[in-house]
Amino acid sequence: MRKILITYFLVIVTLLCACNDDEPKGNGIALLKTTNPAPLSLEKNTKKELDLIGAIEQDVESFKELYDVSVLKGKEDILVAYKVRHMQRFHMKKIEKKIKKLLKEKYPEENFIVSSDYKIFLEAVELEENLKDPNYSTEKAEKRLQEIIKLKKELT
Amino acid sequence: MGGKTKEQKQYQSLEQKHEVKRPVLKNCIKAFFVGGLFCIVGQAITYFYIYFFNFTEQTAGNPTVATMVFISMLLTGFGVYDHIGQFAGAGSAVPVTGFGNAVISAAIEHRTEGFVLGVGGNMFKLAGSVILFGVFSAFVVALIKVLLIKWGVI
Repeated sequence: MRKILITYFLVIVTLLCACNDDEPKGNGIALLKTTNPAPLSLEKNTKKELDLIGAIEQDVESFKELYDVSVLKGKEDILVAYKVRHMQRFHMKKIEKKIKKLLKEKYPEENFIVSSDYKIFLEAVELEENLKDPNYSTEKAEKRLQEIIKLKKELT
Repeated sequence: MGGKTKEQKQYQSLEQKHEVKRPVLKNCIKAFFVGGLFCIVGQAITYFYIYFFNFTEQTAGNPTVATMVFISMLLTGFGVYDHIGQFAGAGSAVPVTGFGNAVISAAIEHRTEGFVLGVGGNMFKLAGSVILFGVFSAFVVALIKVLLIKWGVI
């Protein structure tokens, strides 16, 4: 009887797992693997813009405590997401502070959102993936970026 | 406390002679590994929530704790957790899963006394102190933090 109950429960749980349709598409592996996404701008990709975000990516990547940097430029905000090396995760707050300071000094007129969260990185990669599709409109992308920023600011 | 009487001391030495030595180191190692195993499961659940739902690393902790407690409650009900507890000792009691075990085992134990006075009255016999001291210490810490922010220390 007990065995039947346990099996029944497990089967139900497994079946219910399928009732979820907002799973990430394609890029799912970004949580585990180094993806090194290219820096992107949601607006038109002019030479000046590309140079700016390229330089930002280089600056952030120069920190040896972290790897896998994703830079996304929206209308006003620039989202910088990165993964911290495992043994350096103890100093996560310090690293974030250092990056914020550097970016503020070097690019005083830009507005940065800096995050080391896996979820933010995952979402950023997904958005970049979506941007490759020419049918994906700029407004939609900007809206999604604002959603990610909201998610970042959310606390328990 | 006053000193022990002669008889008490005699009894103590006798007791020590016959008592079986506890394998402390072995128990510690067992607890370490089983507790660590629970934490691996917890980490997997955290990633599950980050990956499939809208939780960040910051916010994924709450649903993870709830899920772990729920799983341990089910395992206690099925009678599996008792065996784990026997084997691992503190390794299965110290993580949050021990909380679920404490709630459900007390509920099962007092089931015969009825639903209200038995289950309802005794469910939080053990786990009640966890909630009480948890809430109270959180209150105190928050109070200190509010004061420090008001005074501009942090």
